[in-house]
Amino acid sequence: MRDSLFLAWRYLRHHRAKTLLLVLSLSVFLGLPLVMRAMSAVIQESLMARAESTPLLLGKKGSSLDLVVEALYFQPKGIDALTTADANEIDQTGLALAIPMRTGLMAQQFPVLGTSLDYFSFRGLKTAEGRGLATLGECVVGAEVAASLGLKPGDSILTSPSTLFDLAGVYPLRLQVVGTLEPSHGPDDRAVFVDVKTAWVAEGLGHGHQDLATAGNDVILKRKDGTATANAKLVQYNEITDENAESFHFHGDPSNYPVSAIIVVPNDDKARVLLRGRFVNDSARQLLRPAQVVQGLNEQIFRFERVLQLIVWTVGLATALMFVLVMVLSWRLRSDELRTMTRLGCSRWKAVQIMGAEVLLMVGASVALAAFFGFVIAQFGEAWLQNLILRGS
Amino acid sequence: MASESDSAGLVKVPGTRTCRAILGCLLVLLAFGCAKKDAQRAPALTDEGARSVYTVNYPLAYFTERLAPEGIGVVFPAPADVDPAFWKPAADVIGRYQRADLILLNGAGYARWTRYATLPKSRILVTADGCRDPFLPTGEGVIHRHGPGGEHAHEGTAFTTWLDMRLALCQARHVRDGLVRLAPSSRESVDRKLEALERELSDLDSRLRATVKVWGERPMLASHPVYQYLADAYGFQIESVHFEPDEALSPEAIQELDALLADHPAKLMLWEAKPLPETEQRLHDRGIITVLFDPAAQPPSSGDFLTVMRANVERLACATKAKPCP
Repeated sequence: MRDSLFLAWRYLRHHRAKTLLLVLSLSVFLGLPLVMRAMSAVIQESLMARAESTPLLLGKKGSSLDLVVEALYFQPKGIDALTTADANEIDQTGLALAIPMRTGLMAQQFPVLGTSLDYFSFRGLKTAEGRGLATLGECVVGAEVAASLGLKPGDSILTSPSTLFDLAGVYPLRLQVVGTLEPSHGPDDRAVFVDVKTAWVAEGLGHGHQDLATAGNDVILKRKDGTATANAKLVQYNEITDENAESFHFHGDPSNYPVSAIIVVPNDDKARVLLRGRFVNDSARQLLRPAQVVQGLNEQIFRFERVLQLIVWTVGLATALMFVLVMVLSWRLRSDELRTMTRLGCSRWKAVQIMGAEVLLMVGASVALAAFFGFVIAQFGEAWLQNLILRGS
Repeated sequence: MASESDSAGLVKVPGTRTCRAILGCLLVLLAFGCAKKDAQRAPALTDEGARSVYTVNYPLAYFTERLAPEGIGVVFPAPADVDPAFWKPAADVIGRYQRADLILLNGAGYARWTRYATLPKSRILVTADGCRDPFLPTGEGVIHRHGPGGEHAHEGTAFTTWLDMRLALCQARHVRDGLVRLAPSSRESVDRKLEALERELSDLDSRLRATVKVWGERPMLASHPVYQYLADAYGFQIESVHFEPDEALSPEAIQELDALLADHPAKLMLWEAKPLPETEQRLHDRGIITVLFDPAAQPPSSGDFLTVMRANVERLACATKAKPCP
């Protein structure tokens, strides 16, 4: 058998172009369904794992899928916001821990998540370098953000302006990077974390400016009856530092500040049932189990995958037939060569062995190639495909 | 040129090694998938360890020390030479607060740093919440308007709540609730300790009420605006200035004092700390007695919160002639 393999190997090396073409088409035929199945399984598992680790999610009434996608995977869907009063209401029940989440902001193409410290312990996120959030204006970046932007503690990152052409709109806030997180192999790797109060400042709900009591007359338009009206010269801070942190303030009732969604962590099963019962007839809010919503999404992916597999198998069958045809034609063209081999003393069985070895080597190379690309795509294509699915959901 | 079939007749062809490599690749792929799934599982929400309660001022630290069962450490980390209300803790100190099992805030805007610090909401207890609504304003701050936000003021809230003994008692009860939540099995012992503390605070409350009965509505002065709750709870007519006990009175300060005395002819002035002798003399020249009434936001050099408060009440009772001086 070894000599048959040797002759087959030499033949394939000699006809490199034909061999390469056949190996490539075979590897696509073999690899595509395998890669598709493996990727789909990995993505469905990873989506489900994230959803299953989030017991309950409170949001405004509307698309449950949009709520889950924005709150769990940080893909902006423009969901309506709750208020901090809703989070306080959950806390006051004593049945669960409420973790507020403010989404929708971006910093250099990465989503900014405004949340509380409880989020980090809830998700098991650990600091790789630096420290956790301590004050307003600080941020902690996920592993992928740190790697992509080359960020480390001591650097800064700007939030994206929410109103590009609105000169009176909110200007970017410079966030101080105080820590980077260890990779968690999930959406948290691609996020910038800030205190929810910092998110409100970045949105323009809170601000800091020079003290009007001590400001010069060039800043004050008029002072009357204890009221000072400032002009556009009033310095508003776009960075929160130790020196100006105390000047930052919020207007209005704090209980009305927006929160995109609230992760609700019930104390036990009984608390979970009680909480779900409380929101069953709520006309403005929905308390849902993310795993249930993601299960629905996965079923849609599965249905789509079955249709796609049918197409892929049809194309694959055509490729296989083409391969057989090429091999048969090739053997017919090689009839003189085979005759010479027989005259030199080679048995018919040996000739079949050589031809079989050629097929075996080509199929083997195709499988190896398909496995290699499968591995590469599984490593680097998961996030891309996950984004594609969630953006389109 | 080296041939693939050497003298030994061995041929390098893809064989079992390739198969092993392919199998290896598939196994690695499978292993990565499993690892990712594990990494995304939710962690435990609680962690075991030594229990600590962090407070933002000394009165809360005192109440906690009085009520806490064994095994709970009380920490008030502000340096001795700063006013905890205006203290700015460094990031590492905030980190220590974050790791505490219970963080006791005073409320009413006390400890401004807590407004811009990131603290775990689930472990915060605001002791003055629900004790009074609304809290007293400081009456300071410029009403102003800039940008599209409309008119607003950064007026502060008076925060020395514990000088109203009933408010202090309410705060102590909230401290009790926090401790019971932390150590449910110690409920009875904490409640017993609270009863004793309640008696002592109620006694101080009665003595302050007795003092105001004698003093009536005669005007008083305060060296700093920290006695709003004392005035409001017991009916003292107090106007505040901004005099520092360790600084001599400037001509502008004297002018301000004289202008105030014209409308508010006070004969008694409360001080957070003993003023300089020349300040005392200048006030004495205007017929004003100085009385030390330490708010005890920081631990005293000797004694504790209650001994400081008892001494405060004694001095006030003596100055107002509600009780003979010792």
